[in-house]
Amino acid sequence: MNGQNKPRILIVDDSLLNIEILESILEDDYDIVTAGNGAEAIAVLQKESVNISLVLLDINMPIMDGYEVLEIMNEKHWIDDVPVIMISAENSVSSMHRAYELGITDFISRPFDMLIVSHRVKNTIMLYTKQKKLISMVADQIYEKEKNSNLMINVLSHIVEFRNGESGMHVLHVQLFTQILLKQLVKITDKYNITESDISLISRASALHDIGKISIPDEILNKPGRFTDEEFAIMKRHSMEGAKMLDNLVAYKDEPLVKVAYQICRWHHERYDGRGYPDGLKGDEIPISAQIVALADVYDALTSERVYKKAFSHEKAIDMILNNECGVFNPLLMECLKQSAELIRKELDKQTVSMGEHNEMENISIEMLQYDELSSSEETLRLLEYERMKNNFYISVSGGIFFEYTSSPSIVTVNPECCDLFGISEITNDPFHNEQVMSLIHPEDLQKLSEKLHNLPKDEQAVEYNCKVKFRDGEHNAVIICHPVYNSKSEYSGAFGKIVDKGI
Amino acid sequence: MTLKECYTAIEGDYNDVMSRLMTEKLVSKFVVKFLNDESYNQLVDFMKSENIEEAFRAAHTLKGVSQNLSFTKLYEPTHDVTEALRANDLAKAKEIMPKVDEAYLQTITAIKSLD
Repeated sequence: MNGQNKPRILIVDDSLLNIEILESILEDDYDIVTAGNGAEAIAVLQKESVNISLVLLDINMPIMDGYEVLEIMNEKHWIDDVPVIMISAENSVSSMHRAYELGITDFISRPFDMLIVSHRVKNTIMLYTKQKKLISMVADQIYEKEKNSNLMINVLSHIVEFRNGESGMHVLHVQLFTQILLKQLVKITDKYNITESDISLISRASALHDIGKISIPDEILNKPGRFTDEEFAIMKRHSMEGAKMLDNLVAYKDEPLVKVAYQICRWHHERYDGRGYPDGLKGDEIPISAQIVALADVYDALTSERVYKKAFSHEKAIDMILNNECGVFNPLLMECLKQSAELIRKELDKQTVSMGEHNEMENISIEMLQYDELSSSEETLRLLEYERMKNNFYISVSGGIFFEYTSSPSIVTVNPECCDLFGISEITNDPFHNEQVMSLIHPEDLQKLSEKLHNLPKDEQAVEYNCKVKFRDGEHNAVIICHPVYNSKSEYSGAFGKIVDKGI
Repeated sequence: MTLKECYTAIEGDYNDVMSRLMTEKLVSKFVVKFLNDESYNQLVDFMKSENIEEAFRAAHTLKGVSQNLSFTKLYEPTHDVTEALRANDLAKAKEIMPKVDEAYLQTITAIKSLD
């Protein structure tokens, strides 16, 4: 992470002398970054919380005090990964309580003893390092486990399809559409009590919907023309056959995956009006997993080429389903199909096998989010760090002017290349009270832009705003394109974007 | 003047600081740096402008630093000023300030005559 591979410690204190004393204690074993007040500390964490192994935090500081720093660290969940030791002369029990409540790991009173500081720092970093290592081991194992079980399921269902003369895309498509439809269903109703892990389970199990076809003779399975009644009756057996195979897995039949796969295999040819097979179940007697997979199956059958038919277009397929030309489905699911039709079309356009992997990753991250202690594990942090690197690279090669603004704490960040263009620094705390930053754009333009961002309709992604921007060499015409950001409560919490220079 | 003599002149606690910060070399380094510490001047300025909040912060910092360096004589009145300002009692803080001034002067004079 850093050049010398020493753990990096952030020391936050408004007294330079105090910082220097701590530095002299720690500098041999650690890489030290310092901040003179809370706001500067937040700016450092904003930029590289992943690289900080420990924060030594003073309480009383100008601009932003230690408690406020802790509050923001909680809000941003940095405190889950970055331990904080508070060092203060505020030795009252109440101030210590408050600090512990805000998540500090340890409290060192002034005047501090050199050896005690160095021991506590060492121990805290060691504990966190061990914990992170354990978390990442568990996360890696979950990932491995998921990957292997999915791989096995996909191999198995491909064998069935292979015999069927199909490309192998059918399984992946059904899996993908099942997932999309389920996600939409959860958005519009809580009738079926579907959790994130159910979504992942059902879409995984959906790959097995046709395993029963393994017992159907080749000449029927691959017959190009229409089935005779007798042939069709044999073909129809595949759903029950698949269910039986799963039921015969004595050792595994109580596994959630197998139970769901059983429902899907047996009932994915039932119809909502009760005219399906093998059991003629009606309405919600058919488990929702099977209802969804049935719909996904029909849609993919329509849009794929088969020995006996050409592929229909996405629009045609949706129309046919909505007009009940291909069976009767749950009205709620029809609603889901309508609402996610566009997304399905886009995904279908991608038509790549790697898409399966991508969704797999997404499933795993959703799965991982359910374990609190894994929610910000090393793996996630690595991914974030990777995204950050990628982002920085794109910014550096595209040579544009990029900015990012967060409202709480109020910080503006710009890419290094454009500091020179405007004569401002990379990170500015409290930009609304910074003369240089405020002089870049007319206040009324800023006001208008802010209103536009706050009131942006939900279905629009970005605001484009034409105005004058003050560069070092004078005012330029420019377009500001920015994308608002919302916090977990869907409140506006900042924006990022680009300034396109249109010249003087 | 040796470091030990300097602490005697300051009326600080030499043994305490040595037990916490370990070496004479390190203690001397920070004692000398104390001459550049701004918190005392800030305290005086903010007391003059009666900015209680900022004066409190400066006093608090000066208290922390003098405590860390075991400048006992400077620490005690600074602590009292800090508490007076915390309680918004400007009059009381002003009353104590001469003691802080005296101890501060005594402290920096001794430090300046270190070897």
